[in-house]
Amino acid sequence: MSQLLQALINGVMTGTLIAVPAIGFSAIFAVLRYPNFAIAAYATIGAFAAWWANVAMGLPIPAALLVAFAVTGFVGVVAEETSLKRLRGNGALIVAIASIALNLVLENIVRFIFGNEMRGYDLPIARDMRFGDLRIGPQQLQSLLLAVAIMAAMFLFLRYTRFGKAMRAVADNPDLARLKGIDPAKIAIVTLFLGAGLTGVGGVLIGLDTSIDPLTGYRVLLSVFAAAVLGGLGSIPGAVAGALMLGIAEELALLVVPATYRTGVGFVAILLMLTFRPRGLLGERAA
Amino acid sequence: MSAAQGELLTVDGVVAGYGAAEQILKGTSLKVAPGEIVSIIGPNGAGKSTLLKTIAGLVQARDGTIRLKGGDVTRENALGRAKAGIGFVPQERNVFGAMTVAENLEISGFQEPGKVGARAEELYARYPMLAEKRKALARTLSGGQRQILAMAMGLMNAPALLLLDEPTAGLSPKAADELFDAIVALNKGGLPILMVEQHALEALQISTRGYVLVSGRNSREGAGPALATDPEIRRLFLGG
Repeated sequence: MSQLLQALINGVMTGTLIAVPAIGFSAIFAVLRYPNFAIAAYATIGAFAAWWANVAMGLPIPAALLVAFAVTGFVGVVAEETSLKRLRGNGALIVAIASIALNLVLENIVRFIFGNEMRGYDLPIARDMRFGDLRIGPQQLQSLLLAVAIMAAMFLFLRYTRFGKAMRAVADNPDLARLKGIDPAKIAIVTLFLGAGLTGVGGVLIGLDTSIDPLTGYRVLLSVFAAAVLGGLGSIPGAVAGALMLGIAEELALLVVPATYRTGVGFVAILLMLTFRPRGLLGERAA
Repeated sequence: MSAAQGELLTVDGVVAGYGAAEQILKGTSLKVAPGEIVSIIGPNGAGKSTLLKTIAGLVQARDGTIRLKGGDVTRENALGRAKAGIGFVPQERNVFGAMTVAENLEISGFQEPGKVGARAEELYARYPMLAEKRKALARTLSGGQRQILAMAMGLMNAPALLLLDEPTAGLSPKAADELFDAIVALNKGGLPILMVEQHALEALQISTRGYVLVSGRNSREGAGPALATDPEIRRLFLGG
């Protein structure tokens, strides 16, 4: 029983961490209508930007998160404007494939600058908190709270700010948004900055839990994509729900299958969702 | 200034279409003066909706000119035309379904955020149904309610001219009558309206003037009620 509870807790922790980049991925999809697989590199870039801020510059983790957000958001906008944007007219599939190529380029730039070795953040060593047989790491808990705060901020932005509402309007109906005087191109830039920035922050949160290297983002790409598909591509609440579902499913699966099959859970989740409910949990359109 | 004195909108010899070679409009012209309701009627495929989309800037004119208040807006895109004062209510997908009624109105006043609150309150007073449903998602509204919302959204930017593309399409006769009443009330408040309508007879009866479009060209024009009772028009388009 305690094993099951521990798996559930771990699943919520994992899911919450995946949710942050999944929100970024879904936001970009909602507005630009293509899956941007370069988010794996954005997560890695965010993780390294925060590492530089935290370890090299001595900034605390919350400040390092802000650095990661700004750097990755900037990289996301520049990458889009210089490479993917000109391909948009050729359809979502072409841009999605190009984003895989972009991902490889960005990942190798990180590799060129920082090398291949694992790096860790400057964190105090602390014992796990124990609640009977259950254990929770203080860093995990802090990451969970940070992720929840980031998600809450994103929801408030989308619900209450002028630009947040404009983003939702463009995602809902870009032609009508244009008629209402909203420039979808400007909204796309804001969305890319936010989406890539959040993905970068997600990379840091994932790195805080373990360590970072140039493949940090790539390792979670499938989980992030699966979370977005489960929730319904383009739905931000869906991305959170999908991430939590996936996180819990991955951890529960570990009770019965070896850890090497963990990523298989993402594939199975995508397969089942696309078979039985192609628009995902909360998606509006067929995915 | 080549626009006739007193004209609000002048469309002159517009050629437009969707594909590279396809021409839907083949030299269409019309005018709207301040205070008018002008209806465009015609058989399916005549280019009525394309004409409205071309005026709104969603379809670019290949030839001809479009002038609003004397200024040439032919090369402006949809955003530029919206800013110039053209409000367009499309026939379909004319509300943001995943947003509330209040958010739909707010986002429709995106260009002038300082005036959103006051304008929305005016519209709530004019259309109490919107006030009642302000927290409802637009996709949950009935067809008639949705059209009222779409029209109200078109008013949030305080347009100089409102274009309505088949506003009563898919509505029950009662809801369609209510919408025609709302259009007349709006016009009595001073707003010029240019609309395309399948319910041609009803539309012409409330219109100052009407244009008959056939195969992308002007066929007839005249006073709305006169066209509505013209035997040839009735026979050709209204089955009467």
